[in-house]
Amino acid sequence: MKKILIIALLVFAVSCAKKYTKPYDEPARAPEEPISEETIEIEEEQVEEVEIPRDQRIEEEDMASREMTAEEKAQQIFQDILFDYDKYDIRAEARPVLDSVASFLNDEKDLNIAIEGHCDERGTNEYNLALGEKRANSTKNYLVSLGITPDRITVVTYGEEKQLCVDQNEDCWQLNRRAHFVVLK
Amino acid sequence: MNTNIRLQITDCRLQTIDSRLETYTGKALRTDNTHKFFLFFVCVLYSVFFVLSNADAKIYIDITSPGIRQLPVTVTAKGTARAKELEWIAKADLEATGMFSFVDPDVPGAEIIADMDVDTHNGLQVVLSVIDQIEGREVLKKRYDASKLIIRPMAHSIANDIYKVATGKKGVFRTRITYLSTLPSGNKGISLMDWDGFNSVRIVTRGLNSSHSWTQDGKYLLFSAERNRKWRIYILDLKTLKESILYSSKGLNLVGGTSTDGLVSFSSSRDGSSEIYSINTFGKKMKKLTRSFGIDLSPVFSPDGEKIAFVSDRSGGPQIYTMDANGKSINRLTFEGSYNTSPAWSPDNKWLAYSGRIDGKNQIFVVKSDGSETWQITMTGNNESPSYSPDGLFLAFDSDRDGERSIYIMRNTGEGQRRITKKGSQAMSPRWSPYFNE
Repeated sequence: MKKILIIALLVFAVSCAKKYTKPYDEPARAPEEPISEETIEIEEEQVEEVEIPRDQRIEEEDMASREMTAEEKAQQIFQDILFDYDKYDIRAEARPVLDSVASFLNDEKDLNIAIEGHCDERGTNEYNLALGEKRANSTKNYLVSLGITPDRITVVTYGEEKQLCVDQNEDCWQLNRRAHFVVLK
Repeated sequence: MNTNIRLQITDCRLQTIDSRLETYTGKALRTDNTHKFFLFFVCVLYSVFFVLSNADAKIYIDITSPGIRQLPVTVTAKGTARAKELEWIAKADLEATGMFSFVDPDVPGAEIIADMDVDTHNGLQVVLSVIDQIEGREVLKKRYDASKLIIRPMAHSIANDIYKVATGKKGVFRTRITYLSTLPSGNKGISLMDWDGFNSVRIVTRGLNSSHSWTQDGKYLLFSAERNRKWRIYILDLKTLKESILYSSKGLNLVGGTSTDGLVSFSSSRDGSSEIYSINTFGKKMKKLTRSFGIDLSPVFSPDGEKIAFVSDRSGGPQIYTMDANGKSINRLTFEGSYNTSPAWSPDNKWLAYSGRIDGKNQIFVVKSDGSETWQITMTGNNESPSYSPDGLFLAFDSDRDGERSIYIMRNTGEGQRRITKKGSQAMSPRWSPYFNE
């Protein structure tokens, strides 16, 4: 019974966390003992209200945990790959990232991705759109060469329209000359 | 010999109303103050009655001859309090051309005296009288009658008439400029303003917008926008502000320019690499004009419709090329520097303005369309996206010389450079309208 209660609480907490993300509220409350007693009471009341069959609860929990891991995995793997000025060929140092993106896509057959091509601000807007597209396409082609179906990859260019960094130096320009991966839902 | 002419003129202008909408959502009772802009046309009917005192008008300034002199003029307005406003706006228009020097009314020396008699009691009525001081006769008398107090367009019309008397040419003071403006979301929308930067209104607020081009009749704007990760070409009716898709395919589709016979040039990467195409304004009769491995884009028709200038990186970096309108006889035009983009034709087909990279900055250059002569006409900051006025006298462009990018204008020689949008307005890529039928 206790386990079920805890699971129910967890489910409630997870569903709560999805709606209102208030990471700063909870640690502030925790140290104060009297208040933590009160919260326990409230939680008990709420448990009574939650009347979800056990199977469904477990299913929900499974779903939630699976989603989290896929997203977490994507977050770890989907690092931007960077390009040289006015170039769109894949650098050697980008290959390990692309290899992991490909194996991730092999594991997660249901997921599709978009590749966004970006440029630094020094070029002119229209030419940068074309250049950004070239970068996104060469990234896509590399993944396709590793066996990923082309249909699973959408390509879009943003040229110099979405800058990560706005300083006028090479470090910043380098961060902006990138291909960025996004999981499509 | 006097010619009496009566005209009825409808002046239609976009106006903006700013209203605040409050939305309450959920338990949290969140309040959003959203600015909603409604655009609508206000049409003011005004009649013009004018007398041209002789049919063969004398030309005071021959703008086709090199080293033109400045014509000394006196421009005054009298009447109600708003009269001075009319005077200032008209004078600013004329001054921008660099062709006039202004002489105070009580000082002798003016060859032409333009006098406005202004009445604002019921709408706006102006009687303009232009006198040739040397010959001592009135060369133009014109009455303007507007049902509403529309100071700025009236002043621009008057400036056009004074300019016409002095040069025999049509002025551009009633033309407009579209440009990319930064929306609160950070995306770029499209705005429309008077030639001097006033009366700016947003006309496209959806998606992320890029290249745009007027149709030659001034009634439509073609533009490229990214919405839901798709870059399409749209056509916007400037009277109703209704838009429809002109061209859609996978890849990047960017509109270049339009021709007088109703063609649109654009670039598309539908087949993989970005190539030049033409299509008509109904989205039909598409023709593929280039075939190269690299990037071909920014195609613009020459005003006579014979040629297309475009950007290609077939030689390595981006350079300006020209070709016949059917894609034949491709000719490289720029050889200086490694980054030349954004070509724009002068209305007489003789020059192309473009943006070229020199010493790490983008500057505006003009090159003769046969490649025989090149001039750099901006020097400070980054200067991009040149666009000629329909008379070829001015160029609009964007620059970051004062911080954030803003729209500037200058004469085609590089003289008289000035900012016309607010400092820090994050405005770019101006496109000058054709003449409107007034």
